[in-house]
Amino acid sequence: MAAIPITTHEIPTADFKARLSPNRLVGLTRLLGGFGWHYAGANVSLAVGAVAKTATYLLVQHFVDNVLAQPNFGRVLPVIALAFIGLALVEGTFTALSGRLAALTAEGVTLRLRNYLYDHIQRLTFTYHDQTRTGELIQRVTSDVDAVRRFFSEQLIGLGRILLLFTVNFAALAVLNLKLALISIICVPVVGVVSMFFFRRLEKAYERFQEQEAVVSSTLQENLTGVRVVKAFARQSYEREKFDKENFEQFQRGRRLLMMHAYYWPTTDIIVGAQTMAGYLIAGLMVINGEITVGTFLAYVGLLAWMINPIRNLGRLITQLSTGMVSYERVAAVIREDREPITEGMHPAGSARGEIVFDDLSFEYDSTAPVLHNISFRVAPGESIALLGSTGSGKTSLVNLLPRFYEYTSGKLLLDGVDIKELSREYLRQQIGIVEQEPFLFSRTIRENITYGVAREVSDEEVIAAAEAAAIHESIMSFPEGYQTLVGERGVTLSGGQKQRVAIARVLLKNPRILILDDATSSVDMETEADIREALQRLMQNRTTFIIAHRIQSLMNADQILVLKDGRMVQHGTHETLIDQPGIYRQIYDVQARIEDELEKELAGV
Amino acid sequence: MSDFQFEEEDFQQTKVTRGTLMRILAQVKPYKWWVAGFLGFVGGVSTLDSIFTYLTKQIIDVGIIPGDRQALTDHIILFGVLYLLIAVMVFGFIYLAGVLGERVRYDMRKQLFNHLQALSFDYFDRTPVGWIMSRVTSDTERIADLVTWGMLDVTWALMNIATATIFMMTINWQLALIVFLIIPVLIVIASWFQKRIIVEYREVRKTNSKITGAYNENIQGVRVSKALGREEKNLSEFSVLTDTMYRRSFRAAWLSALFLPVVQIVGSLGLGAIIWYGGIQVEAGGLTIGGIQAFIGYVTFMLWPIQDLARVYASMQQSVASAERVFSLVDAKPQIVDRRGAVDPGTIQGDIVFDNVDFSYEDDKPVIRGMNLTVKAGETIALVGPTGAGKSTLVNLVCRFYEPTGGRILFNGRDYTQLSLHAIQSRIGIVLQTPHLFSGSIRENIRYGRLDASDAEIEDAAKLAGAHDFIMTLANGYEEPVGEGGVLLSVGQKQLISLARAVLSQPELFIMDEATSSVDTLTEALIQRGMEQLMAGRTSFVIAHRLSTIRRADRILVIDGGRITEQGSHAELLRQRGHYYRLYTQQFRSQRELELEREMEPEPVM
Repeated sequence: MAAIPITTHEIPTADFKARLSPNRLVGLTRLLGGFGWHYAGANVSLAVGAVAKTATYLLVQHFVDNVLAQPNFGRVLPVIALAFIGLALVEGTFTALSGRLAALTAEGVTLRLRNYLYDHIQRLTFTYHDQTRTGELIQRVTSDVDAVRRFFSEQLIGLGRILLLFTVNFAALAVLNLKLALISIICVPVVGVVSMFFFRRLEKAYERFQEQEAVVSSTLQENLTGVRVVKAFARQSYEREKFDKENFEQFQRGRRLLMMHAYYWPTTDIIVGAQTMAGYLIAGLMVINGEITVGTFLAYVGLLAWMINPIRNLGRLITQLSTGMVSYERVAAVIREDREPITEGMHPAGSARGEIVFDDLSFEYDSTAPVLHNISFRVAPGESIALLGSTGSGKTSLVNLLPRFYEYTSGKLLLDGVDIKELSREYLRQQIGIVEQEPFLFSRTIRENITYGVAREVSDEEVIAAAEAAAIHESIMSFPEGYQTLVGERGVTLSGGQKQRVAIARVLLKNPRILILDDATSSVDMETEADIREALQRLMQNRTTFIIAHRIQSLMNADQILVLKDGRMVQHGTHETLIDQPGIYRQIYDVQARIEDELEKELAGV
Repeated sequence: MSDFQFEEEDFQQTKVTRGTLMRILAQVKPYKWWVAGFLGFVGGVSTLDSIFTYLTKQIIDVGIIPGDRQALTDHIILFGVLYLLIAVMVFGFIYLAGVLGERVRYDMRKQLFNHLQALSFDYFDRTPVGWIMSRVTSDTERIADLVTWGMLDVTWALMNIATATIFMMTINWQLALIVFLIIPVLIVIASWFQKRIIVEYREVRKTNSKITGAYNENIQGVRVSKALGREEKNLSEFSVLTDTMYRRSFRAAWLSALFLPVVQIVGSLGLGAIIWYGGIQVEAGGLTIGGIQAFIGYVTFMLWPIQDLARVYASMQQSVASAERVFSLVDAKPQIVDRRGAVDPGTIQGDIVFDNVDFSYEDDKPVIRGMNLTVKAGETIALVGPTGAGKSTLVNLVCRFYEPTGGRILFNGRDYTQLSLHAIQSRIGIVLQTPHLFSGSIRENIRYGRLDASDAEIEDAAKLAGAHDFIMTLANGYEEPVGEGGVLLSVGQKQLISLARAVLSQPELFIMDEATSSVDTLTEALIQRGMEQLMAGRTSFVIAHRLSTIRRADRILVIDGGRITEQGSHAELLRQRGHYYRLYTQQFRSQRELELEREMEPEPVM
């Protein structure tokens, strides 16, 4: 993504959570918020347009019956002609106005909804994000939001249009001749029912078609990503057959879908045709019998078409409306989730000193499985503490409590003597910097990634200084576009070590009081490890640091070392004291010595 | 994820060229009778539409006004017959055009897929999977639409205008000429609108994919955003996108909403002319009341085809752009193909010789330089060296996924370009670093190695590869689905299955790229055993990361900078105290450390 200018304008959004409703229709209407009048206006304009259209046909009647019947009607002709054009102007203007208002509503609601959801997602709890798959959430905030947009921009207004056209034209017919009007709507329930039945079935067939589309594309995708395997086993013809099978199945389903259309439209054509035929015959006979005028017949011909034909689409709109409502429900489920209150709590001025006390702290993600038990220790400002333990021993859970990513369950956790539950998350997170094993970088330029954590404008000198301290400046300069190089699929792919050093530069710029190094040195190849270690040393200066590591080398210089097993502290001390105790620490330490022995032996053997 | 990234090409304007159009038409050439059929039917439908209007005129002028009941009934019956006819023809064109559309899409997809199987690696190296996917999925659909519904719409519109013209000229040619004055105006207006609407929608789509991308990063990077407290800035950047989206989609919707009313208002000028001039004609006896009614009908229903033409023309540009991209894929030539007179010698066993081999992916960046190497039949070669040294390239050359850009590779004394690709690639077994599995059951995945293998043979292969035991622990055993790309299995399990697949294919040449990521001890031991089984008595190349693999090799090649820098047995190389010695001791320390530490901990779950 190219550089996006920072905006200061007010961001249009709304509190959609307050507008939720268990009833889907009520919920949808509440989404309208400040646009209720716009939307009402859209429907009223539509009605005005429909009335004008109907009036055109009444004018035809008047023209034929009253004008043409008079002698010397030539003089009034321009007036009548102008009246036609005038009615068309009214109809056109109000139809356009209706479209504009509906667009304003739909787009306005969507704009607010998109902004709201984006913000909502980044403020949802870690627990929510742990449990939610990216693809699923993306689907809800994109396709489902778009379905909600169409609900307002096309479907609801489309339904309104059908009903209005029917009502207005029927009313006009009824005024002209009630008997004729009643005879003319005999087919309406039939068409309505057939249409609903058809579109409901069509929807199912369409779903099956779409499912197969997904199968075809994943077959294709697997073939493309597995091209090495396909070629290595020379399985090209097998793959062709496999794809052809799925492709052909989709052709079959597509054909079935088309067949349904091919039956539906002519069927309704026949129903509507029969109605029209009967109507014309009866109306014609009524003219001949003198019950209605020729003008009325002409008006009837026009009104009838506008009354019946739209009904054929009724089923489509109703099916779409129901999918729109399902989409609303899926979006509402996201909105219903609780946010993390980021600013709630105290926000002391200035930076923290960085004293941290764990006092008999316990923590569990849910009530069934405690993750940390009775943890107690104190870290003085600027001190470093290392956490050692196997996967699942609770190291990461422990450090995740500091920025209040999760809330501890019992005991106390104090920062500078204050319970962190009284401090705002915003404040805590400003004080803490995290470097992870596999840092997430954004697909932006390297410069933007480095400055990602700071709100102020940063000078190039500062960025370069941070990159140099993180030992990444030279690598960056080796890219053709330097700091403007894009990271990710559309730019350069950085190695694990490079990503980590960018993340270190990012934290250096942020300059937090407390530092968390989450497994930051493992799984990096030997060459870069020395670099990273130096960069980390610079980063740790004067900061309270939590180091999570697997290897003794990475943590032996820490001021304190905490050994965790199954969520409990099993050892606590410094390298010097722990090395003298029996226990996990010494076992791990001994491993190193044993390896050197083994290596010695192996080399002597050759 | 490439799914979320928009492709610039999708939004380019393309000139409609004759060559491309002819090539698009060639897609339906095999089905020319289908095309003739639906064009005939739709032409018939639009003709009948015009006849209906004329018939209504006759009903009024011949039946109703003179009070002739018989004539009225006769005309109504004719009306009914025509309605039945129209229904049949509607069925005909929906069926023919619809099914043909599906068929054309099926054909094109098949053609593209088959072509893709023939393309060589260089094409896939420079073409992203997402790009190919879009060609096969959405572009084919657009082309199929153009040759069916697009052609149909154009025919319908032209026929409609033509027949309406004929009838209007017949009824009253003076009035017809006056009405025709508005047609050029309508065409200008329609194309003006369509052009702008297309531009806006293109922008909407572009912005939409950026929004999806932004949501994606928002979700995947949520931990970083929270840790860095970047929520407000994120939202403010995002709101720039939604704001653009709002303005663009509103404009697109507004233009669309305005289009129809404007056309209708202009059309009403024609209507005014009919009333005014038609009235005069009625007075003079040159036009009947039914005639006026017919004119009103023709003008009203001529507005639709003009709109349609504008729409089809606008979307045609997009379809042509799609077609050009599809054709570019079809025209891509595979770089590695069988030479004239290529043979299958029945086996590729024997010595493999690299004779002064050079290779480069891009002209100026050699990856392999002047490599000379002789591998005896049955020898196991371990390749070691830093990332990017050329190990994978060497293996790819052996498999003939690429061919040397200089020098020769000899199989059993014969330049391997004299052999057929199938002769080589059907006799190779490959296990990749990140094994690729296809969705389906474990059994199907193993069977990929030899399609005619019996179930017993599959299980034997799995036993040899050491995969049988873990497969039996799964709920459905060999029928257990592996998920898309094998997501339901661990890396170690996927490797075991791909080993079994290779065992089953009974290759003459075995290639393995060992995984760098750690696999639990038990699985690791199984993989080692499986590899031994495969390597026994077979010429094998292993890109080695494990000490045991390296030690077991007959010969170790140290590759650096595209050359073999050291080679020999494990013992020989260690004695040299060179590059290999450093690599090995480093590897020894980190791997043993991991192994020993793991021994102290309970076995992690596979």
